[in-house]
Amino acid sequence: MSSIAIEAKSISFAYGAKPVLSEVSFDVMQGEVFCIVGPNGCGKTTLLDCVLGLLKVNQGEVLVDQIPIKNFKPPQLAEKIAYVPQIHQRSFPYTIKEIVLMGRAHRTTLFTSPTVEDRDIALEALEMVGLADLADQPYTQVSGGQCQLVMIARALAQQPKIIIMDEPTAHLDFKNELLLLETVVDLVRDNGISVVMATHFPNHAYYFESNGIATRIALMSNQRFAEVGRPCEVLNEENIKKIYGINSKVLDCRFDQNNLIRQIVPLSIIKESGRDNQ
Amino acid sequence: MAKRRLLYLIIYILPIVLIFLTLLIGRYPIPLSKMPEILMHPFASDKSAVPDVYTTIVWDIRMPRALLAALVGGALAVSGAAFQGLFRNPLVNSGMLGVSSGAGFGAALAILLFNRFSPQVYLFALAFGGLAVLLSYLVGRIYNTTPTVMLILGGVVISSIFSAATSYLKYVADPTNQLPAITFWLMGSFASASRHDLVIGLPPMLIGITGLVLIRWRINVLSMGDREAQTLGINANFEKLLAIAFATLSTAGAVCVSGTIGWVGLIIPHVGRMIVGNDNKILIPISTALGASFLVIVDNIARTITSGEIPIGILTSLVGGPFFIYLLKKTKGGNW
Repeated sequence: MSSIAIEAKSISFAYGAKPVLSEVSFDVMQGEVFCIVGPNGCGKTTLLDCVLGLLKVNQGEVLVDQIPIKNFKPPQLAEKIAYVPQIHQRSFPYTIKEIVLMGRAHRTTLFTSPTVEDRDIALEALEMVGLADLADQPYTQVSGGQCQLVMIARALAQQPKIIIMDEPTAHLDFKNELLLLETVVDLVRDNGISVVMATHFPNHAYYFESNGIATRIALMSNQRFAEVGRPCEVLNEENIKKIYGINSKVLDCRFDQNNLIRQIVPLSIIKESGRDNQ
Repeated sequence: MAKRRLLYLIIYILPIVLIFLTLLIGRYPIPLSKMPEILMHPFASDKSAVPDVYTTIVWDIRMPRALLAALVGGALAVSGAAFQGLFRNPLVNSGMLGVSSGAGFGAALAILLFNRFSPQVYLFALAFGGLAVLLSYLVGRIYNTTPTVMLILGGVVISSIFSAATSYLKYVADPTNQLPAITFWLMGSFASASRHDLVIGLPPMLIGITGLVLIRWRINVLSMGDREAQTLGINANFEKLLAIAFATLSTAGAVCVSGTIGWVGLIIPHVGRMIVGNDNKILIPISTALGASFLVIVDNIARTITSGEIPIGILTSLVGGPFFIYLLKKTKGGNW
């Protein structure tokens, strides 16, 4: 394992008086997938915003390549970290090529626009996600899954070391979800990019792990990480019960000799005894 | 690609051709054959080559008016295009942040305090137009940052306050001379265009247009929304403010010499989108040229179609509306 790409040192954040993150610490290695899983409203998106520098932490600090994030100017940070939003609000029907080219914004100055070289990089990024054929299509006319791939291509055009994804598979159908996961695996395996991904599907972590990608998962609840570790270590019935209050079962399925598929399946919601008595 | 280039070239040259044609159009006929001599007149040593009446009409009346119409059209169109991109909203126009209603109030106030043709009218229009945008921006900043929806809301609120104040001024204005002057100003016109107007309007419009043309590609990135623009490596708040400042300068400069001319800042950018697509790198300069051409044409109609003169603000809607519907039908929306 190589160097540390991102390090969060005991970061806290509050919206006004409402604490959202309490002394969260973690690190993400270069070439690793770091999944953040937790119930709705547990602070996943806020955490990502702090790592992206969109929000300023109240305490602690975030280091990117060992440099505090507050020392970065926007273009410098964009060179290191790219962001794939949960839902991109499409506005004007730019062509897919034009959208991906915006990933080169950090290389332009106020009065300049992308160069021919930037255009080549953007087209390469489109090829990596398999959308080169659609380069001249308006991006408002492609499916939600393809739009998400366009966003990944835009992130790749930034040539970052780290890509941060906020629930990238929300709103995607069965196939597109797999397409996205496969794309992430390729990025990490072939390009050594680190991916930090907030997701509602713990099984994504298993998917990355069984594809031989260095993967860690953080189970988040009550403004902090309850468990952090490799999926096979921390993603179990006991921890899921603790985080979500549900019964679940880990299923293993072996096929193609050694290929192991592991999934965690939710079974039932645990009725709180206190609530039953009321 | 070569075909596209040619099309762009035609669009860029069109305003110049139209300005030249405008010099020939009007109640007093000027023969085309005399045109070279008239145009060379200021530089010629022999001042008696063409009759004075020709040079006066061309150089003092038609030329300033045509140039002014082209500039104002370009300024309104480019700031409309910039605002639409900035606010991620195809329905906003150059007056979005209250610059038009602020300028209208300033002009009405100056007409009440001084008189119709005083230079204070320009000054007040410019100052209050800028003030209105500043206020809208401050309203939008209530949450420390400037979320787009708050800016639009701020613009709507400030616009309506200034509109109400203008209505009040019209109510108390002397109905025999002040009220018509205010009403006429608000409808927009180039009837009294002179070199003087050009001198006053040119600097803000030129700075605004040039600024927006220079930062045109950044407007693409800003149209991704603040969060994404920031993560793409742009200081979103600062650059948004800069774009607003340029758009305000160009619109305020336009409004203070021509009055409020609606429709151009809304419709011309969309015409541009239908022709060249959404990339602001091309759209911004093309919109400027299209706006210039459009207003020169409409102003020619305004001053020649009847024996009197129709306020151009009325005509832009009358001509622009059907033209837009025609384009919509013809291109079936196209790139838009």
